[in-house]
Amino acid sequence: MSTRAVTFRAAALLLLVVFVTRPQLFAFAFVPLTANNAPAIYNQGSLLALTLSHVRIVFLATLASTILAVALAIFVTRPAGREFLPLSRSLVNIGQTFPPIAVLAIAVPLVGFGEKPTFIALFLYGLLPIFENTLAGLTEVSPRTLEAARGMGMNAWQRLWQVELPLALPVILAGIRLSVIISLGTATIGSTVAAKGLGEVIIAGLQSNNVAFILQGGLVVALLAVLIHDGLGLAERAAARRLGRPLDEIA
Amino acid sequence: MIEIEHLSKHYGDNIVVDDVSFAVGDGEIAVVVGTSGAGKSTLLRMINRLVVPNTGRVLIDGQDTATLPEDELRHRIGYVIQGYGLFPHRTVAENISTVPRLLGWDRRRIAARVEELLDLFQLDPGEFAQKFPHQLSGGQQQRVGVARALAAKPALLLMDEPFGSLDPVIRGKAQDDLLAIQRRLGTTIVLVTHDMNEAFHLGDRIAVMDQARLLQYAKPADLLTHPAEAFVEQLVGTAERPFRLLSLVTVKDAMEPGSAEGEPITVSATLRDALAQLIWRGRPALPVTDASGAPVGRISVDGILKHGRASLS
Ligand SMILES: Nc1ncnc2c1ncn2[C@@H]1O[C@H](COP(=O)(O)OP(=O)(O)OP(=O)(O)O)[C@@H](O)[C@H]1O
Ligand SMILES: [Mg+2]
Repeated sequence: MSTRAVTFRAAALLLLVVFVTRPQLFAFAFVPLTANNAPAIYNQGSLLALTLSHVRIVFLATLASTILAVALAIFVTRPAGREFLPLSRSLVNIGQTFPPIAVLAIAVPLVGFGEKPTFIALFLYGLLPIFENTLAGLTEVSPRTLEAARGMGMNAWQRLWQVELPLALPVILAGIRLSVIISLGTATIGSTVAAKGLGEVIIAGLQSNNVAFILQGGLVVALLAVLIHDGLGLAERAAARRLGRPLDEIA
Repeated sequence: MIEIEHLSKHYGDNIVVDDVSFAVGDGEIAVVVGTSGAGKSTLLRMINRLVVPNTGRVLIDGQDTATLPEDELRHRIGYVIQGYGLFPHRTVAENISTVPRLLGWDRRRIAARVEELLDLFQLDPGEFAQKFPHQLSGGQQQRVGVARALAAKPALLLMDEPFGSLDPVIRGKAQDDLLAIQRRLGTTIVLVTHDMNEAFHLGDRIAVMDQARLLQYAKPADLLTHPAEAFVEQLVGTAERPFRLLSLVTVKDAMEPGSAEGEPITVSATLRDALAQLIWRGRPALPVTDASGAPVGRISVDGILKHGRASLS
């Protein structure tokens, strides 16, 4: 990694941390966007607390999507589960095509307001990229490699853990990264059903016609997305480098 | 000793291996040759039960392989395939230690074994142990593939076109290395190939397969002098026959007492090489020396021809 890349990442991280802990320091930049003496900086709660709960729900939802999607992809690539491949593909696809806002509308009457409906929406929305990537990663493992593993007396379990999953790892990580980034943005709509998150700042801005608020909410989400995208990208490249794949292949 | 008894395999109506029987003695190399699709790989894979035969059985030292748990059987049989199938995410050392780790050897024993094998295959442990397969040349990958198969000291090694993707020069060297290692370890080998030269170079016995059937299983010289069917004769090459025969015999067997002028030939050279030298140097005879370089006799064109005629008749 070049010094410039390191500096850039450190600067973005610093900006994010300072902004969510001491937002008043940046008031000067947002004042021109306000009218009628409206507050320039979000004042209905702590930006830090909102950021943390935003990240928390994205993390939990992605973790749940990862567990289910990876397990499902493993199952449908085993001899016993192969016949369920088309079925699970369509189920996961439905999860993706159903708009998250519609999921919220359906989930609220069932589970109430708050984090739960948001979690469900993010969870469903995050399944597809992880499932498809895990599937691709597992089916890409060379038949020759698998034949060698079998010929050396590895049982099905050993082949999965010692050969298939490690070889599929970079592709699986790419799926998780995609899913996290989508969820970071999508989680803002959770605030419409009273989940704590950065969507609150944006909604407050919309309600009071305060462009400064909208921009702040958007800025924090964007910084989060850039940093997380980048961090996961590094992990992927480290995993791929071990396999000797050219770096641009997974960029 | 492995005994293959009436092995058959079919996929649907397609008979792939048809009632094949033969035995390979301890420390012998049996080479299976035949045209593409003859069923060679399937036959080989039935020995370690990657393919389960429809009928027949395989005995290793008298024990029916079907009575053993599959994984345990495969831990005891080395397996090398074309393209080697090295694990791309594992270093050379990790690849080689695959079976010992499955067997639960302790770390020190594994490290010692890896080093021993790398030395045996002329790969400097300091340089190669931590490399990944993609950082190796084809010839180096091939050696790692064989080293990996030998890691847990199997008495039996199965090789499916192990030299298939090497260029001719490296291939010749790899064959010689394999022979040297095999003579040293006494491993029994069943090897599949398309290449007749390879079969004659490596095989103590050669099994010729065509369309799922075993046509002949015999010593190389018998295959040349007494081909069982027209197909075998065609496969070993009628025009090539005398030369192949000469390549099976060393100078020692056709040597005459006396001396000659010129560049000496060693007693362990094949008659084919000796004849080539005689023609190339334009001499009726050349001196013969033993391994230490001491003169032990002479070899002549006449002597070689006489020997060739005797073995063909
Ligand atoms: N799993 C399988 N299902 C169906 N047919 C198979 C299977 N495996 C092998 N065959 C068929 O069995 C025949 C023999 O295959 P095999 O791989 O043993 O041939 P081979 O002698 O090794 O050929 P080659 O020299 O090309 O490697 C082929 O016609 C092949 O199509
Ligand atoms: Mg084959």
